Amino acid sequence: MLRSAFPYLALLILLGAVAWSLSFGTLPPADFTFCNGTEIQSVDPAIVTGQPEGRIIQAIFEGLVNWDPRTLEPSPGVADNFRRVTVRDERGNETTKWEFEGLSDDQLTYTFHIRENAKWSDGTPVTAHDFVYSFRRFLDPMTPNRYVFQLTSYVHNADRYYSPSMLQPGDPVEIELYPERDLIGIRGKVLRGYTFVERVLQGEAPDPEDEDAPPRQYLYILEKDGNQHRFLAGGEPGSVPSDVTVCRQVLLDFSEVGIKAPDDHTFVVTLKNPTPYFLTLMGFYPLFPVNERCIETYGSPAWTRPENIVSNGAFILKERRLRDRIRLVKNPHYWDRDNVRLNTVDALAVESYVTMLNLYESGVADWISTVPATSVKTLLAEKRQDFQPSPMMTVYFYRINVTKPALNNKLVRQAISLAINRQEILDTVTGAGEVAAYSIVPPGIPGYTPATTAPYNPERARQLLAEAGYPGGEGMPTLEILFNTSEDHAAIAEMIQQQLRKTLNLDVRLRNEEWNSYQISQQQLQYDISRSGWIGDYLAPNTFLDMFVTDGPNNQTGWKNAEYTRLIEEAAAGLSDIQRDTLSIAVGVAGPVSIPTRMDLLHQAEVILMDELPVIPLYFYVSKNMVRPYVHGFYNNLQDVHPLRAIWVDEEAKRKFWEEHGR
Amino acid sequence: MGWFIIKRLGWMLLTLWVVYSVSFVLMRSVPGSPLSAERKVSPEIEQNLKRRYRLDQPLGVQYWDDLRRIVPHGDLGASLKIQDFSVNEIIAQGFPVSASLGILALAFALTLGLTAGIISAVRRGSLADFSMMTIATIGIALPNFVIAGIVIILFVFLWPLFPPGGWGRISNIILPAFCLGAPYAAYIARLTRTGMLDVLSQDYIRTAFAKGLSERTVILRHALRGALLPVVSFLGPAIAGVLTGSLVVEKIFGIPGLGVHFVNAALQLDYPLAMGLVLLYTTLLYVMNLLVDLSYAILDPRVKLH
Repeated sequence: MLRSAFPYLALLILLGAVAWSLSFGTLPPADFTFCNGTEIQSVDPAIVTGQPEGRIIQAIFEGLVNWDPRTLEPSPGVADNFRRVTVRDERGNETTKWEFEGLSDDQLTYTFHIRENAKWSDGTPVTAHDFVYSFRRFLDPMTPNRYVFQLTSYVHNADRYYSPSMLQPGDPVEIELYPERDLIGIRGKVLRGYTFVERVLQGEAPDPEDEDAPPRQYLYILEKDGNQHRFLAGGEPGSVPSDVTVCRQVLLDFSEVGIKAPDDHTFVVTLKNPTPYFLTLMGFYPLFPVNERCIETYGSPAWTRPENIVSNGAFILKERRLRDRIRLVKNPHYWDRDNVRLNTVDALAVESYVTMLNLYESGVADWISTVPATSVKTLLAEKRQDFQPSPMMTVYFYRINVTKPALNNKLVRQAISLAINRQEILDTVTGAGEVAAYSIVPPGIPGYTPATTAPYNPERARQLLAEAGYPGGEGMPTLEILFNTSEDHAAIAEMIQQQLRKTLNLDVRLRNEEWNSYQISQQQLQYDISRSGWIGDYLAPNTFLDMFVTDGPNNQTGWKNAEYTRLIEEAAAGLSDIQRDTLSIAVGVAGPVSIPTRMDLLHQAEVILMDELPVIPLYFYVSKNMVRPYVHGFYNNLQDVHPLRAIWVDEEAKRKFWEEHGR
Repeated sequence: MGWFIIKRLGWMLLTLWVVYSVSFVLMRSVPGSPLSAERKVSPEIEQNLKRRYRLDQPLGVQYWDDLRRIVPHGDLGASLKIQDFSVNEIIAQGFPVSASLGILALAFALTLGLTAGIISAVRRGSLADFSMMTIATIGIALPNFVIAGIVIILFVFLWPLFPPGGWGRISNIILPAFCLGAPYAAYIARLTRTGMLDVLSQDYIRTAFAKGLSERTVILRHALRGALLPVVSFLGPAIAGVLTGSLVVEKIFGIPGLGVHFVNAALQLDYPLAMGLVLLYTTLLYVMNLLVDLSYAILDPRVKLH
């Protein structure tokens, strides 16, 4: 019976399965569709780092300031105490720009006025307290936050809040108990009124090399009303003596940190040192506000679900299909909703650049953020109006391990840099109009002139190598160029291998490694020369130059230069312009002020860097967006950010365009 | 038969435990950390990140904690890279996609493969046989991405019938299902042909013809059943493979299935996601092989299950 029915049964199952696999829920098409690269890690502003994440977070959240889509100038966001001023440049041209009105005279205190009509997507007002909550959460050591230095480096006491190791006896502290509900990312009950006495490491100090050692626990001895209390941070309840209270963590009392909300519409941030680009940082997505009620109700990551999330940006997260698309819809509560012209936006998660280009060419996507390297030349040759590569704040460079023999000699490093013909690389390998780099800081940062190293000069290169004691490359050890697996990196390394062999008679080998091992090799200085790249986070030279301070986590070259580090630190602690004016009046300096400006100090630092050359800059990237002509409000800029709130689609032109182009 | 199934399921649990343990050791011995990024963070931030994802615990503790979470509840934990979703949710979203694509690819492979295989076996040595087997050989030899490239040029750009990628509509699924199914169709065609030729020379087929049955009845009723056995045993692992997704086809057509997750999880050291997918694949493979064994018993009366 079963045997004779089996073929029919199998057929029936197969047909049923096919019918199921062809049933799809329908989603109406969006006004605007773009390819966003890989699937995003999260929509939680505090915990992510990448560009695709940034595009989504910028659409659904809004910070204190917005970056102007054209110039990246900080302009009104949730904070509205800006005024429009007219400035005249050297050539007498008048331009208008936004001027922030909340900066104190000593340039240390930023007072933001939270606009009255700023609303969360559930209709409740956005207040200064929301920013205090968000900034505190950003600084919480339990928030897995890689960008925490964006506040700890600048804001008064923010680093002491993040690092309990910096607590001093007498500091007021806050004790966070474990939350009652078993949720990640919510705050436990907080006890205040204690002062710090001592912090004791429990058990034996673990061997830092031993990865299998149990995590460290600290016992905090605190004082309240003259009595001592003991708290164990990170312990298990029940396993401790009765006079010890188990808690999650002990931190500096947050009221000590320079982040305050005197009333609902006033948010005050106090800095350690004047930081001219601090306002720009407030428009960078990690510092966008998150909704307290939403997070404390649902915990992480449940609060990020479309059905739970409460946000304050121009768009709302409507639907998330993993590795397929993110559907955004216009936020009806957004204060500037009248100027948001897109109603629905689809961000497609597409990993393959070829697929992106296919989707663009067939009209599925209206904007793609990059194109495959192999198509660049064809697209440029066709002189496509919708493909206009434009410079951005990203540098491709080689790190040199200065702890290696021969490479520890400055002259050898200079010879190598002089022997590299960057233009040849750009002409043959990359070819999208990238710019040869002779400095680590890309050009285009207002007020800053990059310091450069000498361009290609084979004669001089040979001469320097001889001076270093290796005439004709004799006695030079074999060098190895390390890069992570990628066709482009390999092609560039091969070309440099040839150039160094031809010009300096150096024996160069190539070594490619998978992403993870490559990073370890680079961090542990197990390389001679290593491929690197760096994307600037904000329009200031520090975002590049801070990397190479002595023992900085991103130095990774073994290079130590006290003068360089001093200049960078001095620039960070720099005098404000007003302090400098007062100082020059006090010492009676007339005419040009002889005290160097912050940009001068940074320039001097880069001069040292470009003379010592622990890193050899090769080229600056260009952005490779393709955008349809019927898309408006899209501007190329140095950071390659294109806020969706400014973008709109001319439907009539779109229809016409596709009629002409056959779809 | 009931006892047979229970016994096999028991073995499956043991296999899953061994796979879990071996994968755990292998994943943790890969150099690098899931938290490493091009932008290196200060040691203090790194310590806090580790603590948050419980990667600061000794390996033994992590092993037992993970196991205790998986065994009673089937909770595979939280992905380290796709942080807004748990591994269970990632599988719940990706598996139906891979399964839809896989089922269609298989349906296509079976229809085309069986037809071609039967015709070439019956018309052995004819031009039809020769050309179909040539195509089948090419189909096996040609990698997916070449087939995908060809069909995209043909059916997306030259003759714009289908979108080049994406997911959500029936038109999205046709091209990738074809590309995914093509090599399977080729295999099935060759297996069917070999099986048919083997069966057609058997005595009982001659008897059937001698009884005066039509060619059609003999082939479909008597020969095909025997010829299907090698195809069925091929289908078990093939279904498991096709259901868990294909990296290449998913990447080219931008399909949100499990194949790309599989590879990315391994490359990015996303331990929980990689583990979840390995366990899923093990289970599927085991279940499919069990079904193949059961269907053997139905198709071939000589097979007895122990």
